[in-house]
Amino acid sequence: MESGQESRIENTSEVQTVDASETLADSAGATTAPVLEARSLSKRYDDVEAVVGLDLRVGPSEIYCLLGPNGAGKTTTIHLFLGFLEPTSGSAHVMGLDVAEEPLKSKTHLAYVPEQVMLYRNLSGLENLAYFAALGGKESLPTDRLTEILGEAGLQADAVHSRVSAYSKGMRQKVGIAIAIAKEADALLLDEPTSGLDPEASNEFSELLEQLKDRGVAVLMATHDLFRAKETGTRVGIMRHGRLVAEMTTDEIGHADLERIYLEHMHD
Amino acid sequence: MQTKTTKTILLNEWRLLAADRTLRIVLPLFIVLFAYALANGMAWVRFQEYTVQVVREGNVQRTEGLERELTAIQNGAQPSSPFRDPRNANVMGGRRGARAVALDPGPLTALAVGQSDLLPYYYDVSIYTNETTFLQNGEVENPLNLMVGRFDLAFVAIYLLPLLVLAMGFNVLSGEREQGTLALTLSQPVSARRFVTAKLAFRAILVLAAAIGVSLIGILISGGFGSTGPLGRVLLWCAALTVYALFWFALTAWVNSLGRSSSWNATVLVGAWLVLVVVLPAAINIAAGLLHPLPSRVEMITAQREASNDAVNRRSELLARYLEDHPELTGGDATDEPNRAALAWAATDAVNQRLEEVSERHRMGRDEQNELIRRYRFFSPALLVQELLIDAAGTGDARFARFQSQVRAYAGQWQSFFVPAILAGEKMSADVLPTLPGFNFVDESLGDVGQRATVPLSALIILVGLVGTGAWVGLGKVRGAG
Repeated sequence: MESGQESRIENTSEVQTVDASETLADSAGATTAPVLEARSLSKRYDDVEAVVGLDLRVGPSEIYCLLGPNGAGKTTTIHLFLGFLEPTSGSAHVMGLDVAEEPLKSKTHLAYVPEQVMLYRNLSGLENLAYFAALGGKESLPTDRLTEILGEAGLQADAVHSRVSAYSKGMRQKVGIAIAIAKEADALLLDEPTSGLDPEASNEFSELLEQLKDRGVAVLMATHDLFRAKETGTRVGIMRHGRLVAEMTTDEIGHADLERIYLEHMHD
Repeated sequence: MQTKTTKTILLNEWRLLAADRTLRIVLPLFIVLFAYALANGMAWVRFQEYTVQVVREGNVQRTEGLERELTAIQNGAQPSSPFRDPRNANVMGGRRGARAVALDPGPLTALAVGQSDLLPYYYDVSIYTNETTFLQNGEVENPLNLMVGRFDLAFVAIYLLPLLVLAMGFNVLSGEREQGTLALTLSQPVSARRFVTAKLAFRAILVLAAAIGVSLIGILISGGFGSTGPLGRVLLWCAALTVYALFWFALTAWVNSLGRSSSWNATVLVGAWLVLVVVLPAAINIAAGLLHPLPSRVEMITAQREASNDAVNRRSELLARYLEDHPELTGGDATDEPNRAALAWAATDAVNQRLEEVSERHRMGRDEQNELIRRYRFFSPALLVQELLIDAAGTGDARFARFQSQVRAYAGQWQSFFVPAILAGEKMSADVLPTLPGFNFVDESLGDVGQRATVPLSALIILVGLVGTGAWVGLGKVRGAG
């Protein structure tokens, strides 16, 4: 974040303004090293400020939900962590590695589930998993273990060997999660993962995230779904015009509070 | 780590291609085309070998016929005609005793017919051999073949191989982006550069295995490995094919690195193929013809007629001048009463001199055209690889020029053998036949071929380097799936 710039960071249901350099994780007294960390991260496209001075830390076993309208900078943030974009200023770090300086090394710790998990249609779920897991840099896993992982991710056993062209969006997302499990990723980046999923599939997905959280994975999820963010997330950040305008822990607020705070910021 | 990543991508490519119906059709189709082209080239080789055999058998039969007749005359028989009396030096050295010389097919002709069906590979050498002899094409050829070129392996490699490469690579990156798999791929610890390089490398292995495999089978079947020095030619052939295919793969990588759609890539790449393989060579060819036009053959024929008429009218004068110019042929004594053969020879020599003037202009024009083509061939990888392939096959201009040059020298020996006898009015006997000059073609060495190949091969490698660098830089900028 540019020096001197102040961002309103709200903590819990009471509005609390803090300096942007002091994130909630800091104020909450998180002592563990962050898995994901943005330091004054900015990205500018020509005249558009997509992300402005973002400071963010996500530790192990945390699910951080980024809320915000379209164009708020959520996806850009995720792409900056993935190294898909080069920051205009500031830096993104994964397990302490500067993504811009060590893009490949930092990706060994990451798994990514986009809004639409697109896999090789002519290959089976198992073949896709075997490929992406191997590409992820882990030792080749035996087919039995890969099948087991697909099961852990919730894919039905009879779909494991079917071509992905026959998969629903939810099934493809399960393969995406399976890739993260197989890769033993330290951090999971999710971009609108539940958009377009029916409630049952969304619930299953949330359960999977809980399991990953329990394994110590740090999750950063961009979403429009306030309900899901409250239910699944451990912390929530609200972005608008590229800025993180509010941040809160979910166990200290109710659904109504979150909605109210969100709407307040959208109408500022 | 990086080697493992490359292996993973290669293995996945194998799975993807095995599951892709389009490529399962395209690749075998090209193998069939390669095989058909090879069969076509081999058919030409068989034809050329047969022709050469007939030409050589004709020599033996002609010599045996002359020997029989000369022996019979020696035993008291009369010649069949006073104008065909083989005892006369101008008859034995002329068309009756003419020696046919032939060029064997190049070591890899089955792969590239090259100039074999355009340039003469056999000549009748006699005292009447002159420049018009070298301007004639001995074969009656299917006009469509002459128009479009023979469908041999070189044709497939130069014109169609790039299309196979483009079909297999035009969407190597854009396709991944469009089907959405690129995002998941680039979220793994692999760069776009390594990803595309590995994918294209796999395709390149398939394409080159097909092209080089069929070539080697062709060489094996046509017995090319059994002839002299073919290994270097085979290596040159394979190197040229490889570098040419790499050029097209590098171009597909470069175009893909620009981040446009697959349809845009396909349009640009087919456009590049059209320009580099079809339009540029044709444009250079047209420019060569316009800037350095060759004298018409009609001019040559007219010159020959005029010179013949003039020579017939002034035969005595010409003979006197000829003997003045070549006193060594008569031992310094000019004949007071020249024989008819001597007069005819003097006329022939005058015609030849006139023709040489016209043919010299032909040669100069052709040299200028070749120079222009040599200068501008660097703009078209197709021209460069064509030069390399037909040179490797032994069917290029250089080998034919070498053959022609040795035939010219042989014709000179033939004339030197007979002209003094013509002027002196000596009679020939059967004993002369074994002493007649013989023709042995000294083929070019591998060093000659290698030396000629250095420039076009280096130029092709430089083109690959330039385009490859563009691709390398472009792919280095690809960070995400957007």
